[in-house]
Amino acid sequence: MFRIRFHGRGGQGMKTASHILGSAFFHEGFEVQDAPRYGAERRGAPIFAYVRAARGAINERGIIRHPDLVIVADESLVPVPAAEVLANFAPHTTLLINSAESAETWRERLNLSSPIICLPLAEAGEQAELPYMGVACAAAAARLTGVIGRESLGDTVAEELGSLGEEVVAENLRRALAAFDAMADHEGCVAEGEERLAAPAEGPDWIEMPLDLGEQATPAIHAGATSVEVRTGLWRVMRPVVHEDHCNKCVWICGSLCPDSVISTGAGGYPEVDYDHCKGCMICVAACPRHAIEAVPEHGAAGETAATHEEASP
Amino acid sequence: MSEPVIKGMKDIPSEHILGAGTALCAGCGALQALHEIYDVLGENTVFVNSAGCMTLMSVYPFTPFRGGWLYTAMASAPAGAQGVRDALDILLAKKRIAPEEDMQVAVLSGDGATYGMGLAAASCAIDRDLDFLYICYDNEGYGNTGNQTSAGTPHASRTATDTGAEGVPGYKKDLFGLWVANRPAYAATVIGAEPLDLARKVEKAKSIKGPKLILALSPCPVGWDYDPMETLEIGRLAVKTGIWPLKEFVDGKVVHTKTPHPRTPVEEYLKLQGRYAHLFSPKRNDALIDEIQSRVDAYWDAVGD
Ligand SMILES: Cc1ncc(C[n+]2csc(CCOP(=O)(O)OP(=O)(O)O)c2C)c(N)n1
Ligand code: SF4
Ligand code: SF4
Ligand code: SF4
Ligand SMILES: [Mg+2]
Repeated sequence: MFRIRFHGRGGQGMKTASHILGSAFFHEGFEVQDAPRYGAERRGAPIFAYVRAARGAINERGIIRHPDLVIVADESLVPVPAAEVLANFAPHTTLLINSAESAETWRERLNLSSPIICLPLAEAGEQAELPYMGVACAAAAARLTGVIGRESLGDTVAEELGSLGEEVVAENLRRALAAFDAMADHEGCVAEGEERLAAPAEGPDWIEMPLDLGEQATPAIHAGATSVEVRTGLWRVMRPVVHEDHCNKCVWICGSLCPDSVISTGAGGYPEVDYDHCKGCMICVAACPRHAIEAVPEHGAAGETAATHEEASP
Repeated sequence: MSEPVIKGMKDIPSEHILGAGTALCAGCGALQALHEIYDVLGENTVFVNSAGCMTLMSVYPFTPFRGGWLYTAMASAPAGAQGVRDALDILLAKKRIAPEEDMQVAVLSGDGATYGMGLAAASCAIDRDLDFLYICYDNEGYGNTGNQTSAGTPHASRTATDTGAEGVPGYKKDLFGLWVANRPAYAATVIGAEPLDLARKVEKAKSIKGPKLILALSPCPVGWDYDPMETLEIGRLAVKTGIWPLKEFVDGKVVHTKTPHPRTPVEEYLKLQGRYAHLFSPKRNDALIDEIQSRVDAYWDAVGD
């Protein structure tokens, strides 16, 4: 059985990716499961999607704990503990990562002996073409398994995205086939994982639970605004940077319109952005009448605030 | 009613009291409206929140609120508000809290709950003259569960449950009109993209006792399918096209607080949103676009504009 795990951010199309890969397997005669992991997944937040494919019946259920292939659509997720990108890597588990860096760099960085394949998805001049990431990841994964043909992959993409109109399908198809072709040297490198039999389940002994005190059973939060412990700054792919030389100090505008309450009046009356929590929606950029806020890619700006790269304790 | 202090943009509170770090999507128009509302309401507010996107803000042990928060079933937030109001009144009567420790009770519900299964509970709370503020963030769909059609979803838009070429066959319910017919103490429509209009209305609602509605159209990048950055432009266009009239019901009359002149064609609003993409491609659907426009025109004609 193939067990494949996708990692991306909400909005990068991981659910679609898993569905396309699942359907492509199905067209090749496999039994398939594909599912995204739901929770508080939101645009920008880490999300997961899973595909199982086997020649016979699949009796496993739930999230994949022993992946044969792990696909990472967004390399900035790797250091995020909540994204669990490196969870349960076995020596045979292949890592496919959307990155312009080399496999060697990643090997050293992660101290990982498993196979690593880098696939730079952004085309020339693009920062991150989010809409096509999912389909390209699915296509690359298909090639790595060696059991999905180019044609049936193309048919699947057209079928799954058909409702979006011809133009969208054509561009997705182009991206999918490019990713499929880029993986030619690695065709079939991902092998099916071994069968895993469920351990025979033993019924639990009867356990008498003492009654909890009300306060413990339904705990109350006594402090206000504890949500600031969650660093949503990690979601950001673009960062708003205020240029004070253009700024009019009308913070009531950008400060009111920022949905996340992260723009306050800072030193000298200029707006101050709390990068630990700014989600990078860029509403402030659109709101500023003086065009004093610039959107810059997070990759280049990351060094400025190291704090955004620490995950809050859950 | 006390004298208003919010007269211009500079009077809007500069202190933002809603905690950051919530799980709501980047660019969420509902969160934009809520934080603007909360800044005016102040910390001394208990939110009674029915199931929806906003309930994900308070997941133990994290909350963005500074006062109280109570989670209720989808249809029951107004009933929950009655319970909280009664409890506070009893504590006040027994002198277990001082009058300055009293809190405002605010329902926080989406359109799914408000226009649908929560409507009876709200109507009955108005009948009982409950002193509460009902905040509805209207993202025009069941957002939290994947944007299915609700009774607040507009005609012809595409949702997870209406995927055909003509989109949603039904029409958005006139929730403001239903409230007005129920004779509340106050009712107003707002949008986060117009913070001054919003702040004035919340300030007014805060000063009036009895059942009050703040109905906030809430652009939703996920459900409406657009780039989060466009939340502001889409919100402004909702007002400029006249598709979202800003108005209030006070002292027995409905007054429009902003009349767009001249009105921008609705098309400008529609074409920014993926949920209306099927009206423009592969072939332009003039019949539906014209229908939406003529309904907006008919509304403003009736207003006497
Ligand atoms: C009685 C009931 N039915 C269904 C649900 C599942 N549910 C949770 S949130 C939600 C959507 C609510 O929509 P809305 O009130 O518009 O809030 P939004 O999600 O858009 O914020 C649904 C259907 C529920 N919690 N309770
Ligand atoms: S809106 Fe623009 S000009 Fe005004 S304070 Fe914010 S950044 Fe400065
Ligand atoms: S990008 Fe701007 S508007 Fe969006 S969360 Fe960050 S500071 Fe706020
Ligand atoms: S789905 Fe829409 S309403 Fe819900 S949190 Fe996301 S942007 Fe806000
Ligand atoms: Mg809703």
